Amino acid sequence: MVTVAEEITIDAPADEVWAVVAAPERQAEWFPGMKTSSVDGNVRTIGTAAGGMLLEEILCIDHERRRFEYRITGPMQFEHHLGSIEVEDVGGATRVVYGQELEPTALTYVLGAAIRDALIGLKALLETGTTSRGWDPGEAAS
Amino acid sequence: MTRRILFVTTDQQRYDALGCNGGQVARTPVLDRLAAEGVRYERAHPQNVVCMPSRATIVTGRHVRNHGVWMNGVPLEPDSPTVAQVLLDAGWRTGLFGKAHFEPFLDPFLRQAENRIGVSGTTDLDGAPHRGFEHLEFAGHGAVGLLHHGRWMRAEHPEHLFDFYPVLDMSLEVNTAGGGDSGAPQVHHNPVPRDLYHTDWVADRALAWLDGLDDDEDWFCWLSFPDPHHPWDPPVSELHRVPWRDLDLPGGYPQDRGEREARLDAKGAHWRLWYDGDLVSNYEAPAHWVPATLTADQVREVNAMAHIENELIDEALGRVLDRIGQRGWGDDLDVLYTTDHGEFQGDHGLLFKGPYHVDALMRLPMLWRPSPAGDPAGGAVVASPVGLLDLAPTFCAIAGLEVPEWMDGIPLPRDEAEAAAQGRESVLTEWDSTHPDGTEVHLQSIYRYGLLCTRYEAGTCHDGTEGELFDLSEDPVQAVNLWNDPDRRALRDDLVDDLDASLPPRPVVARRVEAPV
Repeated sequence: MVTVAEEITIDAPADEVWAVVAAPERQAEWFPGMKTSSVDGNVRTIGTAAGGMLLEEILCIDHERRRFEYRITGPMQFEHHLGSIEVEDVGGATRVVYGQELEPTALTYVLGAAIRDALIGLKALLETGTTSRGWDPGEAAS
Repeated sequence: MTRRILFVTTDQQRYDALGCNGGQVARTPVLDRLAAEGVRYERAHPQNVVCMPSRATIVTGRHVRNHGVWMNGVPLEPDSPTVAQVLLDAGWRTGLFGKAHFEPFLDPFLRQAENRIGVSGTTDLDGAPHRGFEHLEFAGHGAVGLLHHGRWMRAEHPEHLFDFYPVLDMSLEVNTAGGGDSGAPQVHHNPVPRDLYHTDWVADRALAWLDGLDDDEDWFCWLSFPDPHHPWDPPVSELHRVPWRDLDLPGGYPQDRGEREARLDAKGAHWRLWYDGDLVSNYEAPAHWVPATLTADQVREVNAMAHIENELIDEALGRVLDRIGQRGWGDDLDVLYTTDHGEFQGDHGLLFKGPYHVDALMRLPMLWRPSPAGDPAGGAVVASPVGLLDLAPTFCAIAGLEVPEWMDGIPLPRDEAEAAAQGRESVLTEWDSTHPDGTEVHLQSIYRYGLLCTRYEAGTCHDGTEGELFDLSEDPVQAVNLWNDPDRRALRDDLVDDLDASLPPRPVVARRVEAPV
C-alpha cells in the first residue's frame, strides 16, 4: 500500500471550508476533471471528464473532526483504497489535507496529480467563488 | 523546390525486426528497398528505453535531462520547443498519425491535452496546432481508451471494440493474463478484421490528410505505428504468416536455464531480482508476471506475433509510399524510419523492457532514404553511433533550416566519411525511475567504439559502485560483464569519465510524474 497526500492553505474560515468539503455532492464544483458528483445514501457516483465513472462508498463525514472519508469501490478494483480530506483551522485560515491510500498502486501518480489540482480548485472556489468544472469534450466538438 | 518528409516510427521494435538488418523472420520488402536506396544505421540508440522520454527526445532533439521527461508518466512541458513547430513556423504543413505519447495515457480526469483532443475527436487543440502539429489523429495499443482510433471503433465498429487484448487489468496494472497458444503474457488471438486494426488505420488517416494537401506544399507527416509494442494481438487472419511452432528460438535467448541465470547474475542485482519476481521497478511490464516462468514456446509465440505485426507495418508503409508516388511527390520525398526503443523478445530470458541497457532495448532500426532528386545515398551503411536526438536536427537540415541551439543532436550523416567528419564517437542513454513504493533505479550508459558501459547510480538495488561493461565485438549477446575485470578497469574509468563529461546536468527540480504511463 502507498499513501499520497497534498495540502493547501485557504484564506477562509474552517467552518466555511468544511461546509463545502462535507457536501460530497458538491465535489464536482472544485475537482477539475470531475464532471458530476451525485450521492444516494452512502454511495457517491462520480462522472469523469474522460467519460468514465467511479463508484465510491462514503465512509464518514465527521463534523467534529472535520474529516471526510470515502473509498473507491468500482469499476476499477482496489485491494485497498481510502480517500480522506481533513480541514483544520490555522489561526483564522484553513489547512486542508487531501490523502489517498491505495493498493495496487497503479493510480498513485494519477490521483496524486488530481488531488493537487483539486485543492487548488477548492481554494479558488472558497477565495474567489470560481468553480473548476471539468473540461467538456463536447465544447470543442460542437 | 518543394520538400516533403515522411517520418515513420514504430514502437518497441528490435534492430533485427527488419530484413535489411539481418532479420530472418518478418518479410519487410518496403523497408529493405528504402535501405538499399538510402542509408542504414547500424548503431542508432535511444536516449531512454521507454516511450515517453524517447518520444520527447525525437520531437525535441534534446537529451532527456534537457527536455525533462525523465520517465513514463511525465508530460513534456506544454511550451517545450519541438521540431514540428520549427517546420510549421517555416510554412510546412505538419501532421501526426498514430501514437504521440508526449503526455500520459492514463488520465481519467482528462488533464492532458492529447487525451482531450482524442476524446473530443478534433484534430487540433481548440482550433490551434498542438506541439507544432496542425493535424493530429491518435492511436494506442488497443481500441479502449481516449484516442481517435478507439473513438472511431466505438462509433463505427462497436462489435469489435473488445476484440483487442486489454493492456491493463481491472486494477489498471499492466495485464498479466496469458493467451494465444502458449499462454504468454499479453499475447492474444484477436478476431478484429485487419482493416480495423490500428496499423492500417494509422496509414488510412495519414493518407486522408495527404490527399487533402495541395501538390506544391512542403509537408512533414509523422506516421507513428503503435506496434509491435505489446500487447501482441495482431488480427487472427494474419497468423498464418509466421507459424510460431516453426520458429527457431532467437539467438539471444539462452535455452539452458542455468546459463540463463548465470548471465543474469553477472549483471546488476536488478536483473535477477526482476527475473525471480522479487522486484517491480516500473510500469513497463506486467507487475505480477515472473520472467523466470517464461517458456521457450512463449518466446517463439511472442516473436511470431511481433514479426506478424512488423510485416503489417511494412505493408501499410508501402501503401502510403505508393500513394505519395501517385501524387508525383516521390522525387522530393525524404523518408526516415526508426522506433522509440527496443524489446527483449526473449533475449536474456526476458520480455518487455525496463532499466536494462543492452542491445535488445538500445540497438534500434534506423533508415534514411534521402530524396531521389537531391542526393540519394544508394545503400550506404553507417556504423558510427547516432541517436534519436539527431532526428530533429536532420529534419531541419532537410528543410534547409538552421538547427536551433536548443537541439542537442546534429544532423544524421549520410555515410561513414561524414560521420567521421562530425566526430561521432559515442551515444548516450539514461534511465531514471521511481515506483510508488519507493523503488528507485538510475542508470547511465555510453556506447563508444564497440564498447557498451553502464554505470548504476545508488538506488534501491545498487550502492553506486556497480555497473556493466560489454565488449560487443567479442560478446555480441552481452553475456560477459567486464565491469569488475581488473584488466579493463582503466578502460571502464575512461568510459565513465567520458559519460560524465558528455551528459548535461540534471535539472535542479525533476518534473512531476502524473501517471504511470
